[in-house]
Amino acid sequence: MSARGIVAGTADAIVVRSVSKSFGAAAGGLKVLDDISLNVANGRFVTLVGPSGCGKSTLLQIIAGLVPASEGEILIEGEPLAGPRPSATGIVFQDALLLPWKTAAQNVEFPLALRGGDATRRRARALDMLALVGLAEVAESYPHQLSGGMRQRVAIARGLVEDPKILLMDEPFAALDEQTRTKMGGELLQIWERSSKTILFITHGLTEAIFLADTVLVMQARPGRIVERIDVELPRPRSYDMIGSEYFGRVRNQIWHLLAEQVP
Amino acid sequence: MWSNALRRVAIFAAAIAAWELAFRLHLINPLIIGSPSLVIQAAIKDWRGFLDACGTTALELVISIAISWSFGIVAGTALGAMRMLGAIAAPILSALIAIPLIVVYPLLLAWVGIGPESKIAFGVLSGVFPIALNTLIGVRATDRAYAQMATAFGATRLQLIVQVMLPLAMPAIISGLRIGTSMILIGVLVAEMLGAAAGLGFLISLNRTLFNTGAVYLGTLLALAMAVLIDAALSRLERHFGAWRPPIHSQA
Amino acid sequence: MKTTVVSTSIFAAQVAIAAAAAVAWEFVSRRGIVNPELLPPLSDVLATLWQLLHDPRFLADLRVTAVEVLVSFLIVAPTSIVLGFFLAETPAVARLVNPVFHALMAIPKSIFLPIFILALGIGFTQKIVFGAVLAFFVIVVYAEAAVASVPSGFVTLGRAIGASRGQIYARIYLPAMLPLIIAGLRIGFIFVVTGVLLAEMYSAPVGVGRAIVHWGEYYEIRKLLAAVLLIVFACIVINQLLEAWERSSGTGRFNFGAIA
Repeated sequence: MSARGIVAGTADAIVVRSVSKSFGAAAGGLKVLDDISLNVANGRFVTLVGPSGCGKSTLLQIIAGLVPASEGEILIEGEPLAGPRPSATGIVFQDALLLPWKTAAQNVEFPLALRGGDATRRRARALDMLALVGLAEVAESYPHQLSGGMRQRVAIARGLVEDPKILLMDEPFAALDEQTRTKMGGELLQIWERSSKTILFITHGLTEAIFLADTVLVMQARPGRIVERIDVELPRPRSYDMIGSEYFGRVRNQIWHLLAEQVP
Repeated sequence: MWSNALRRVAIFAAAIAAWELAFRLHLINPLIIGSPSLVIQAAIKDWRGFLDACGTTALELVISIAISWSFGIVAGTALGAMRMLGAIAAPILSALIAIPLIVVYPLLLAWVGIGPESKIAFGVLSGVFPIALNTLIGVRATDRAYAQMATAFGATRLQLIVQVMLPLAMPAIISGLRIGTSMILIGVLVAEMLGAAAGLGFLISLNRTLFNTGAVYLGTLLALAMAVLIDAALSRLERHFGAWRPPIHSQA
Repeated sequence: MKTTVVSTSIFAAQVAIAAAAAVAWEFVSRRGIVNPELLPPLSDVLATLWQLLHDPRFLADLRVTAVEVLVSFLIVAPTSIVLGFFLAETPAVARLVNPVFHALMAIPKSIFLPIFILALGIGFTQKIVFGAVLAFFVIVVYAEAAVASVPSGFVTLGRAIGASRGQIYARIYLPAMLPLIIAGLRIGFIFVVTGVLLAEMYSAPVGVGRAIVHWGEYYEIRKLLAAVLLIVFACIVINQLLEAWERSSGTGRFNFGAIA
């Protein structure tokens, strides 16, 4: 088990090869990511956990094609990435970022509307996605009428609307309270199991990271790099009492120590 | 709510009555202060003239608004969407608004003449800067997170500006439209007062030189009515677009 | 450090734009692209300005306008600030008065000029009063807002350390309120200038406003442009100075949509 998160395998959904990212002027700029390499195989649920400021959001932005890497390359479904590729990757941010003047259904439809095409088909697809996340009855509600958890579910529906193979999620449940967060985690797993997507999920919550994932990648900060890769050996479907198991506690401790090492 | 409105109307009516009373009792000089009855007399005598004048002013107004709004919003959006340009332009616009624009009007008169063109030109100048500036600020202040989200979902630059940033900036834009349109109205009226052959401002001015106090007050009241109507209409618009009040994000 | 670099280059860009505009003006006029009778070259206008500044007649006009502006401002500024403070401290009165104020603020007050002239004639007094009235409401509202902007913690602090009313005002309130007060004064000043100039242009025997209208009627475009440039330049300078003072005294700039 390499400490770099690379697995020899077949066609991988996401391949990150020696990616580095620096901000600012060439000499003396800030190096945020240092020689990161990782694979996410098809259909896997991989979480990326690390302390605040370790660059995990930047890494996700690079994988999403929003920010160019300073060095290295990204392959999405085997193709090098040159910019956003919404057909392949859907994205969910920490803030739901729903357009406030659109209804839930219109928000979910938004990526499709950008492309044009048949309006009835778009609308039907959007309603399907809303049903998938259990929000069919609030299709005509506006974001300000929905709770935080519901807004985030709409955001997930939007991320899935173009049926991308990959879903990128940047701390999507961080702004929610504990109960909702746990519930949403369980629902997300159900959606994932039903749809066989590949999910790369960023969090700074250790429990969440282990509970959801097939594999946990642990990052350290300054500069950001992957220091450990842990395959979670818990059966699926996951249940909440696994969290109290001895195995879970051991893995959690292991990660905690890796993260605690860096705090000055 | 209705008792509130009723109370206001009652106070207003009482004020009018007191004014008329003061006039009747010769407590005020009719040439200077006028009276409600003088206003009504002027209205009866001269309503056709005033109607014409309002028509001319309204036409100048509508054209000025059309030009100002389109120029202002387009320019403001373009400048707001391009970071460096916006940063350069905002202080310039801000400084230009500090100028008493009225001093430019005699220049316009000399260049374009006394007809409605000079009024429209001055109206446009009065309105376009506040509209552009408010639009610029509104577009610039749109939370970058929304832009990132839309880009992640494959929006082109144009789609991003038109479908995401502009609607997000709507409250600021409409606020600019409110201020700007008020300035257009007063610009057109003042321009008519300073040099014209027609229009409400001209008519008020003419009556002043003839000491037709009632007519002066009537004209002023009509102008005020225009101002109130326009502001009410735009306030309606503002409320319509504000229904969804976006969350205020602190800018990174 | 980075922001100073950015703001210097922004300033440089603005200077460059102004310079480019000046060059364009000169070029367009000299080459006859625009009728030089309508738009004399910038150099001619500047030369005319130089002459005007030595012309006793113009200087007299300038003096009249400046005095009117100054007197009007010096009357309206303290009174409106004090009234604003008073309203902020007596919420009962404020509740009655504020709706009226806000309504009056939204009305373009320049429309009352003919009525002002009917009532007060066309002399010195009328111009001062007109300018003052235009500025009055704006400054009051800003002064009220300035009081409201003081964090309530400051007041508690003042009382807790046993400061007298006067001390609280001078040492704690005033510095906290300064940015908004300066902002109100800046906008009020613009309104005073606008009001005085408008009144002069409309009907007055003397003053820069009168001169501008006169020159416009007689197609003395050079003198007209010279005077306009002078006024524009003066206003921009004063505005920038006050803005700089406002910025250095704190943060926050608001626009309450006051219409002259």
